[in-house]
Amino acid sequence: MKDKDQVLAVIKTYISKMPSLPVAWSKIQEISRNPKATPADLNQVISLDPVLMGRVMKLINSAYYGLNNQITSLVRAIIMLGINTIKNLALSTAVLGGLSNKANFQALNNEGFWRHSLCVGVAAKQIAIKRRKDPKQLEEYFVSGLLHDIGKIPLNNKLSAEYVQALSLTDKEHLPLYLTEERAMEVNHCEVGRLIVKNWNLGPAMEDVVFFHHFLDAYPGDNRDVLLTVAAANYFANSYQIGFSGDRFPAPLAPSVLEELNITRDYLDELESKVSPEIEKAKIFLQVSGS
Amino acid sequence: MSIRVTFWGVRGSIPTPGPKTVKYGGNTACLELRFGKEERLIIIDAGSGIRELAGAILAKDLKKGPINTKIFLTHTHWDHIMGFPFFTPNFIPGTQLEVYGPVSFEDDPLEKVVGGQLQYRYFPVNIDQLAAAITYSRLKEDTLDLGGGLKLTTKYLNHPITVLGYKFEYEGKAFCTAYDHEPYRNLFESQPDEPGYDEATVREGAQAAQEENEKVQAFFAGADILVHDTQYTGKEYQAGKQGWGHSSFEWAINAAHRAGVKHLVLFHHEPTRSDQELEGIYNRCVARIKGRTSLVVSVAEEGKSIEV
Repeated sequence: MKDKDQVLAVIKTYISKMPSLPVAWSKIQEISRNPKATPADLNQVISLDPVLMGRVMKLINSAYYGLNNQITSLVRAIIMLGINTIKNLALSTAVLGGLSNKANFQALNNEGFWRHSLCVGVAAKQIAIKRRKDPKQLEEYFVSGLLHDIGKIPLNNKLSAEYVQALSLTDKEHLPLYLTEERAMEVNHCEVGRLIVKNWNLGPAMEDVVFFHHFLDAYPGDNRDVLLTVAAANYFANSYQIGFSGDRFPAPLAPSVLEELNITRDYLDELESKVSPEIEKAKIFLQVSGS
Repeated sequence: MSIRVTFWGVRGSIPTPGPKTVKYGGNTACLELRFGKEERLIIIDAGSGIRELAGAILAKDLKKGPINTKIFLTHTHWDHIMGFPFFTPNFIPGTQLEVYGPVSFEDDPLEKVVGGQLQYRYFPVNIDQLAAAITYSRLKEDTLDLGGGLKLTTKYLNHPITVLGYKFEYEGKAFCTAYDHEPYRNLFESQPDEPGYDEATVREGAQAAQEENEKVQAFFAGADILVHDTQYTGKEYQAGKQGWGHSSFEWAINAAHRAGVKHLVLFHHEPTRSDQELEGIYNRCVARIKGRTSLVVSVAEEGKSIEV
């Protein structure tokens, strides 16, 4: 087994050139090459790919570091950076390798992971709407949900053998995935996710969501609202089995979380009827013309 | 005199020599700034106009000692860097040159982007053969103390690649550039009956564009001299030039007026624009604002200086 420093070194190298998920990549390429593509098309496709979304946010927040507020809105990023820059960035994003290479077998499949990420993003935004959050903040809820498991991408793809081991441990021992990740690889996806969010300059709120979404009790900071919302959305995605994030036996969500958010389990039932059609719409949108 | 600006290149996109551009000039962007009694030299942009500026510097400054100056690039589009290989102080031992500017999202260093023009396939001298000591520094949105009472503030503008506007403040006077720049606009504008219409996105886009335009206006508010992009007429802009990264005469004049600018210089002339056409547009603009603003408007002209 690799020691923690070795694992982190492998991951840090990978993070600097993190590839996109294949689910959205072909559509991203198609739209970026199309001179008639509108900003709305770009907005839609980027918001469906956690990696590209992260790269756009990194660009806006590192280029414009003098700004007072962290920018988390893709609409604003597109207006400030311009369509050319966004298209160029999209075209230069690599794609995750296929699944054909057996030696590099991946524990999580891209499609399932993509569905889970999008589901948590959409559900977090819906919960924020229900709770009448400031419309300006809604996108932050969406992006935080979309990216909450981003740490799983490097683990799944660079430490594939260990990740398979972590997943089978959860099945065997009915443990939450972050614990079996630690056993198999010395690090968990929350820690890796935080490295990515720091590397992408996405700001403290996003760092907190990614790092603490399985450790709500330990959370000391100021971004409790978005953190709890994403945790509830994650619980929703896992219990309704929308997509698959590898977490077959997550720790149960404390009832106090829903109480604090002032939402009920019945509301989560309603949520399903809103979230699933959104994901299906996205899936249809991502089909490349002619395929 | 606190600040003097001399225009060595005023044309946008590509040099346009010939009889139609004799008056205002056909060289691409290059501005010479002089500060105070010591006539401290700062250069903005290295378009084709920098070749003639180099000649003037050698005649005037070299006798006082080796050239030691800074070039601030607004961005690295070719018309703003193409004169760099022809900046003759580069070939003189003892020259100290600091090149500053923004880089695009690819993150390639300025040395590669600007200095990279000096390689055998493009130019007979390689960058490593230059006698001058040249340093390259990336700039972001920032405020810098350039020493001797000279303060620089930079501001991101709206163009297909990263562009910085520059504001130099010296002895209570302010000189600003706002080129290449197009007003921010709501790229998500759409009507309720259009497919994919999303009210929240339309609203957010409108607000973002407005706020970004206000920031640019605040950046040059009260400037004594503002050199602003005016590549197009309002009509040209509306007829297919949106998104090209340039402003109209109408926008620049209104923005400068609202911001309380004292003297607006129209700059980055459209390459197809003849002297006669440019003069016609200028006269119409001046007639329209006469008596309605204290703003002074002039057209950037090669070889001409303005001082405050």
